[in-house]
Amino acid sequence: MKIKSGFVLRVVGGENVVVPVGEMSKTFHGMINLNETGAFLWRFFSEEHTVEEAIDALCSEYEADREQVEADVNRFVDVLTRNGFCE
Amino acid sequence: MVYEIAGLRVRIENKYGFTTKFCREYLSDDQESPVDIIATASEEEFAAERSLSDEFSDGYIENICLYRSICMQMPAFGRMLVHCSVLEYDGNAYAFLGRSGTGKSTHTKLWLKYLSPTRVINGDKPILEYKDGGFIAYGTPWMGKERWGTRAQAPLKGLCFLEQAKVNSIRKLSIAEASTRLFTQILIPSEEKNAIATLELTDKIVTQVPAYLLQCDISEEAAKKSFEAMTGFNFDEKKNITN
Repeated sequence: MKIKSGFVLRVVGGENVVVPVGEMSKTFHGMINLNETGAFLWRFFSEEHTVEEAIDALCSEYEADREQVEADVNRFVDVLTRNGFCE
Repeated sequence: MVYEIAGLRVRIENKYGFTTKFCREYLSDDQESPVDIIATASEEEFAAERSLSDEFSDGYIENICLYRSICMQMPAFGRMLVHCSVLEYDGNAYAFLGRSGTGKSTHTKLWLKYLSPTRVINGDKPILEYKDGGFIAYGTPWMGKERWGTRAQAPLKGLCFLEQAKVNSIRKLSIAEASTRLFTQILIPSEEKNAIATLELTDKIVTQVPAYLLQCDISEEAAKKSFEAMTGFNFDEKKNITN
């Protein structure tokens, strides 16, 4: 699981903002706003990782309930996939 | 020809005479030294712009493409286009922003009417530069349909987003609110370096320039609200002092 190249993530006005660049900007128009968890996962999946690794990483980062984290990560990955952001 | 726009040396490579005349006040005395930006309108960009409109001349269409080319290169130099009307009062610049039709021109006219000497730096497409912890607003040859503006610059002291309402009120926006609204009034270049620079500049604008939301009609009271919030002056004391 890896997010396609061609996006940049920056914090603007305290909010996590993703915009497409280069070739990606021709096919994807617009901007993505992410919460803290979303930004964490976006950065994590900018490198190749499994969903399981993301769940482990998020659990150790936030000391959250594993079942809840699994649901969150699966939902995030589903949104990424449906929007064609994954390689 | 080489022009001086927003403090940069810009060579504009136009085919049609329209832009030469359009930019003449910004022509550089020094045509020889190296330039910062080279502005071109590719055939592809020209065709895309032409497809949006049949009614304009080739020179006008090229002119739109050339400004886009300039603005897409500005962020790497710490500058960016923000779609707004920028006025100068007492040596400082104040920007009015909002979707087309929300009353930027009308509100600009109110300041010109009641608050002299106010002048328009750029009524539609100024360039803002981040410098020494603040922003400078620059006039450019591109000033929107009304062609309000002048070759001037001033430190930007406030952003005021406009919304039409029956009752006049103004409030300070949070940084997050200002950021969401500002994103609707900027262009993000597709080239990575300039895209990143645009996001970083946008962050600096909303964290360093106070932003307000003015819900207003077209009366004198609307100008009073924006003037007092952004300048800290008393409107009734300053109103028409030279008239």
